[in-house]
Amino acid sequence: MVEERNNGGKGWVGASLPRKEEDRLLRGRGKFAEDIKLREMLYLRFVRSPYAHARILSIDASAAEALPGVACVITGKEIAAETQPFIEIGPDHAQKIRDFPMAVDKAIYQGEPVAAVVAESPGIAEDAAEMVNVEYEALEPVVEAEEALTDRSVLHEAAGTNRVWNGVWEYGDVEQAFKDAAYVVNIDRLHFHRFSSTPLENNVIIGEWNPKDDRIYYGCNNSFPSFAIQFLAAHLKVHIDKIRVQTFDIGGSFGIKITSYPQMAVCALASKKAGGRPVKWVETRSEHMVASAHGNERTFRNTRVALDKNGVITAIDSKHIDDCGAYPRYEPLGCVIWSQVFCGVYRFKNARIDFWQAVTNKCPVGPNRGYSRMQHLWFLERVIDICAHEIGIAADEIRLRNYIRPEEFPYTTPNGCVYDSGNYPKMLEVAKGLIGWDEWRKKQIDAQHEGRMIGIGIGTTLDSGTNNFGQSQIINPYAPFSGNSQGANCKLDIYGEVVVAVGSCPQGQGHETTAAQVVADVLNIHPDLITVRTGFDTERNVHTGMSGTYASQFAVSGLSAVHGAAQKLKTEMKRLAAFLLETNEDELAFGVGEQGPEIKANATGKSINYWGLANIVNVNSAVLPESLYDVTLNCRYVWRAPFKVPDTKAKYGSLTLTYASQLHIAVVEVDRETFVPKIIDYVAVDDCGTVINPPIVEGQVYGATAHGIGAALMETCVYDEVGNMLTSTFSDYTPITSMNIPKIKYGHTSTPSPHSYSGAKGMGEGGAAPIHTISSALQDALFAHGIVINDSFNNADSIFRALKAHDGGQRAELVKLERKQASSAK
Amino acid sequence: MYPRPFFYHRASSLQEAVTMLSQLGTDAKFLAGGQSLIPLLKLRFANPKHLVDLSFIKNTSFIAENQNAIRFGAMTRHAEIEHSALAQKIPVLHDCAAGIADVQIRNRGTIGGSLAEADPSGDWANALITLDTTVHCLGKNGERSLPLKDFVTDAYTTALAHDELVKEIEVKIPPHGSGGAYIAFKRSAPVYPSASVAVQLTVQDSVCKEAAIALGCVGLTSIRAGEAEASLRGKSLNEKVIETASEAARAAADPQSDMRGSADYKRQLVVALVKRAIQIAMRRARGERVEGSHLYA
Repeated sequence: MVEERNNGGKGWVGASLPRKEEDRLLRGRGKFAEDIKLREMLYLRFVRSPYAHARILSIDASAAEALPGVACVITGKEIAAETQPFIEIGPDHAQKIRDFPMAVDKAIYQGEPVAAVVAESPGIAEDAAEMVNVEYEALEPVVEAEEALTDRSVLHEAAGTNRVWNGVWEYGDVEQAFKDAAYVVNIDRLHFHRFSSTPLENNVIIGEWNPKDDRIYYGCNNSFPSFAIQFLAAHLKVHIDKIRVQTFDIGGSFGIKITSYPQMAVCALASKKAGGRPVKWVETRSEHMVASAHGNERTFRNTRVALDKNGVITAIDSKHIDDCGAYPRYEPLGCVIWSQVFCGVYRFKNARIDFWQAVTNKCPVGPNRGYSRMQHLWFLERVIDICAHEIGIAADEIRLRNYIRPEEFPYTTPNGCVYDSGNYPKMLEVAKGLIGWDEWRKKQIDAQHEGRMIGIGIGTTLDSGTNNFGQSQIINPYAPFSGNSQGANCKLDIYGEVVVAVGSCPQGQGHETTAAQVVADVLNIHPDLITVRTGFDTERNVHTGMSGTYASQFAVSGLSAVHGAAQKLKTEMKRLAAFLLETNEDELAFGVGEQGPEIKANATGKSINYWGLANIVNVNSAVLPESLYDVTLNCRYVWRAPFKVPDTKAKYGSLTLTYASQLHIAVVEVDRETFVPKIIDYVAVDDCGTVINPPIVEGQVYGATAHGIGAALMETCVYDEVGNMLTSTFSDYTPITSMNIPKIKYGHTSTPSPHSYSGAKGMGEGGAAPIHTISSALQDALFAHGIVINDSFNNADSIFRALKAHDGGQRAELVKLERKQASSAK
Repeated sequence: MYPRPFFYHRASSLQEAVTMLSQLGTDAKFLAGGQSLIPLLKLRFANPKHLVDLSFIKNTSFIAENQNAIRFGAMTRHAEIEHSALAQKIPVLHDCAAGIADVQIRNRGTIGGSLAEADPSGDWANALITLDTTVHCLGKNGERSLPLKDFVTDAYTTALAHDELVKEIEVKIPPHGSGGAYIAFKRSAPVYPSASVAVQLTVQDSVCKEAAIALGCVGLTSIRAGEAEASLRGKSLNEKVIETASEAARAAADPQSDMRGSADYKRQLVVALVKRAIQIAMRRARGERVEGSHLYA
């Protein structure tokens, strides 16, 4: 049993309260979008392009339409005729990209929908989809971002180029730093691979276009509906307030479900064509793997690193090329989001990053857990480890010399972000203690003598949460977003039940529980006495335009809104109780009495319970004086992050509110015969400031760690040279299973955030620490064999091939170390 | 899952199943555990017009000992073999059964179905080929028995006629002094192995008298590594001898590059697995109890 109130009696925030939603979810009693059955519902099946790049010559749907049970077939051309292309966030030529939810003239990634069949049953829809005859003319595909930038074959003819975005981030005096450097390390090419998330529940959408009033209803599992409806309204040419989106329990998203709005558009348009009958689409696993969304792939070219004689990095100069797949969609926001962690956990002040993004004939990307920042943090961790090995400094030592120091917080980065708090040396110390660093170093040396390959790696990473949407203006000065907000509603219901509604749409993060903990502390009652309504519903009017569950922020934005709403409610309850109990507002005690939750007058001992309070307002209002007519006991609060719009020219400003940090250490042995990289010891230390609920935090740390280990060693989206996706099934993609997860030792440190009311920091994404850590450990194991880890994905096969093919030469091709005569940096 | 429409038939005896398939023609297929067929139906890669379900036929799922042999009804599930004390008499059987796919699939998939499917990456055909295995078949002309090596003829191809099925599998219990091992290497539980190796050794006074080595997933059918076997016979099994045998096995393998690994890597895996399987087989030949099964990346 988990001790319910282990927070030293201080309150419910911080207590290891079991999750309120656990009973429902673990017993299979959850309610998911797929569970929703509406009257006269139809089922949709997409017809998808087998080609990565092909012109659509003709579509013959007559046989499909003639099949009994088929309501209609809808094509991309039809959609283009009655809608506007989706909003493009990118500026200039990127505005000319014409993105419709289905291919119109040509398909530009394998699996892109070209038509949709709507039928009385999913089986009939699938039968009919096979009968849709599409004639294609294959075009030249481009699957590599660097190659795409040559514009040899252009995906979006109207834009005229495959380049989506380009911008330079430059701070300090980079050239001077290189002149003064004691060492310069040149790294030719590093590559962060494309992978995704594999939520248990695929995308599910019900769309209903009501012909009576042209209102659109969605029941779905999109994880950022307030973003989706902005895209949908403009595209469908309906007023945004006429779109209702409702979500239910969601079986995981990891960001990948943010970009399901194109499929949402098709469901509504298909419903309209079918006379307003609701249309449901349940994505299959194969569809999810090929055509939902993948994480961003990024290549880092011509990196130069300047260091002083102590191995302290003084400057970095590099060109980064991001691959966003066929359509930008949420992109090019990723072109700025990485800069929330511009310098990672390190102190260097001089840097120049030339950032590019290109479209390719691959599945469009979506904000996959650790979105855009993990790629950059992996790059920085690679830089640190490669420099350490080249110069001959231990991995822990070079980090200590470069970490931002505990006394420097709040720390302003070269690009104006403010790291709220942190203590990286302390985390390193805790992690080294948990893993037994010194013993492992000894064992490693012994093992090397036996010819074994054991490596010990460190990954220090950040999980920046609660972003300033103003950073979108660095991408496009005309973007109408800035700041961040979240809404919550807290009320005494008509007969006194405490009900909290949040604007988020949780996918397993325990929002019901943590919201109840916050309110329980405000009202001094048990969290079980509080009902929390999760799930997004635009008609409930709790949300703001930023609402959703994404970007590691609920502990800050969501719970700040809940806290604000609870405070508002408490203020109203006090006014009401003071009148009824004939005392002063500051002489009241909140608590639980014989008749449930109540407010008691300190002086008289008289009390009124919540039913009594609600009753007076709602049922028995004649006793109220006019001065209390404004009391509704139904309080909405909108929390706003204290952001300013960044300086878009200088690319300078505060981009995120909180910075949780993770430090992982892995010991990895590469088998000499199978070349399997086996994790033989693993530590994950997490600092997310004040912890609201320890088991919920710990669970998310394990989840993020498993996801990262999977990404580092097992999960990769592979395309062949013509754009066929070769990993479209679980047999080929091999998502990590419990059998592949080593025992993880969990450690915790806490540096409370000065930027949130509770000291909590957003967490959950985890900064992809295992990817950095395992790359680091593998390089440590293989450096003596001439291998520098230059890819974020490594498995037995790739390690075998690297060792056999290069035989000591790979490092020489990839990395050049210059030792300079000049004196070291001042 | 929404396969193309098909007619579902439930046979009440193996003889009736054979008659049904014979009458329904080439658009009909037997359905055993569905380990391969159901995913193929789901993806619409296989589109039979008729399915004849064997799951409700009595006395087709059993494990029995008979005259120094263990007999398996064709419909015996992998999980039943995994948990059978009798099957433990031949450790290779447990090695194989316990590592096939995941628990749910082991509860459904059958040994007879696996052999009849003859998937080049299937486990049973490769695990049993080093043992004295006979496949008893039933067709419209009655029963016939084939040694396993004559049963599987090519990738996804067996000696079975269209309307013929596997009735029973009979595996001779190896004599005292003989030990075997089966190791398959998989990247994760639900996937096919990248490579698998079966070894059966008869050892007398620490000299190898007889050796059988089979390689799976690295050719169209299970490959017997004849040179590797020959290199062990009459030798004392030291590290150098094992090394030679494993290198001979590398040469015998004929893999394709795919998502499970490059051809060169699969050859390397064969080397590693042959070494490990020989080590385990040697110890088992000496009468030791050794746990061994599938390896995971």
